[in-house]
Amino acid sequence: MPLDHRRVPGPEESQAPLLFVPSGAKESEPPPAGAAHRDPTALQPLFEFRRAPFSGRGARGRPSDREPELSLALQEALEPAVRLARYPRAQVDVSALLLQDGGSALAAALCAAGLALADAGIELYDLVVACALCRAPSEGEWLLQPSEPEERAAAARLTVALLPSLNQVSGLLGSGEGGPPDSWAQAVRLGLDGCQRLYPLLRQSLLRAVKRRTADTQEPSEREEAVEPPVVTA
Amino acid sequence: MASVVLSEAEKVYIMHGVQEDLRVDGRGCEDYRCIEVETDVVSNTSGSARVKLGHTDILVGVKAEMGTPKLDRPNEGYLEFFVDCSANATPEFEGRGGEELGTEIANTLYRIFNNESSIDLKLLCINPRENCWVLYVDVLLLECGGNLFDAISVAVKAALFNTRIPKVRVLEEEGGREIELSDDPFDCIRLNVDNVPCIVTLSKIGYRHIVDATLQEEACSLASLLISVTSRGTLTCMKKVGRGSLDPESIFEMMETGKRVGKLLHSSLQTVLDEEEKLGSARKKVGFLG
Repeated sequence: MPLDHRRVPGPEESQAPLLFVPSGAKESEPPPAGAAHRDPTALQPLFEFRRAPFSGRGARGRPSDREPELSLALQEALEPAVRLARYPRAQVDVSALLLQDGGSALAAALCAAGLALADAGIELYDLVVACALCRAPSEGEWLLQPSEPEERAAAARLTVALLPSLNQVSGLLGSGEGGPPDSWAQAVRLGLDGCQRLYPLLRQSLLRAVKRRTADTQEPSEREEAVEPPVVTA
Repeated sequence: MASVVLSEAEKVYIMHGVQEDLRVDGRGCEDYRCIEVETDVVSNTSGSARVKLGHTDILVGVKAEMGTPKLDRPNEGYLEFFVDCSANATPEFEGRGGEELGTEIANTLYRIFNNESSIDLKLLCINPRENCWVLYVDVLLLECGGNLFDAISVAVKAALFNTRIPKVRVLEEEGGREIELSDDPFDCIRLNVDNVPCIVTLSKIGYRHIVDATLQEEACSLASLLISVTSRGTLTCMKKVGRGSLDPESIFEMMETGKRVGKLLHSSLQTVLDEEEKLGSARKKVGFLG
């Protein structure tokens, strides 16, 4: 094969050897908003959002219709919460499968994925709580956690994901005719409020799961879960 | 995405500069780099534009083709977006490397046009339920120098402004309908792009946010907010990008900044487009030689 002489035959990115020092060696942990030092040879986490072909109303959805976008939204909302620095050379697979779309699907998937990560014992900075909002056409009110018919008729839709105890917004995805920034700001506030209200509920369910598990096996056994499919039934 | 690797010292240098409202290239936090816009650069398209924003280089071509309207919108045409990341931009895009970024950008473009006011799609309808114009918007990414989304949205708006769709007439005959193309090539419809939104990406660096980040600045920022603003200051899309999280208060601040900067961006873009339009055929085309 002829060589390409115009390019330097080396790695595309050069990295300082310091980067390869295992991050566990240092006691100081990076803050959630700070740069998470990860072993660059580590595998990237995989986030996947799939919808069953029969999940929506009407025509059968093409599989690749909106999935890449929603998968990316899932990744961007969950990544700030996971302490990836603690898992060098590991891969965390999160796959959400939407069985039936009853509205607020992405928000439900985010909550479910956050819970599943916590249930799997993966170290998190905080639980991820998400809320969906939509706004009826012609200057309507913003509605929290809309149902499917409401969502279909809406002029604007928004999904907000929050790390409640850190008060950090980890995900935000919305579009449509929402009007001026003030209206969107109002929607974000309403969404954050909704997330705060949802938070105790998710915590309780986690607690219940742990209690049930300890009751089942007298001594809590440490389980490793590489892949956990949080099934979303919205 | 194309990215650069910076040392800690370089990052600190950039972050301290941003804190003092003075960036590495001498701009303030809310300043764009110089934008070069040229329309009508590719003659085989219905409309085209090339935008250079710093080192970011975008070519957009719009082709109008006849198609059938979508089932749920029988009397409207539609837009299709395709983003091609050329391997000339960065070696990472070789083969299928740029595909992921391409679909991400295309999805964002669908999202910002996903409302009824940005473009009058009813204008694109020829025959309800049967024929309509489909505008294929092809974005070619020639060089990445940071702030891709903003540059692409400016280029898409310029290309849509430049788009000329031939006028057609529908003739009713006993055997069915027939579509007749106008004989005059200058007899065409133009799109109203007043409400076409532009994307403003606000990157959070330290405690402040900046618009139009360069590649180096993007490497310092963990999270950014992408909003699309129309010339009247309404938001049509809002999205957090990046692997970090944002404080709620900073989101509200960023939205206000985005609206202010976006309005300014729209008005200056419109002036440039109108000026270019006035020159008419006397305009000397620069193309890729300039």
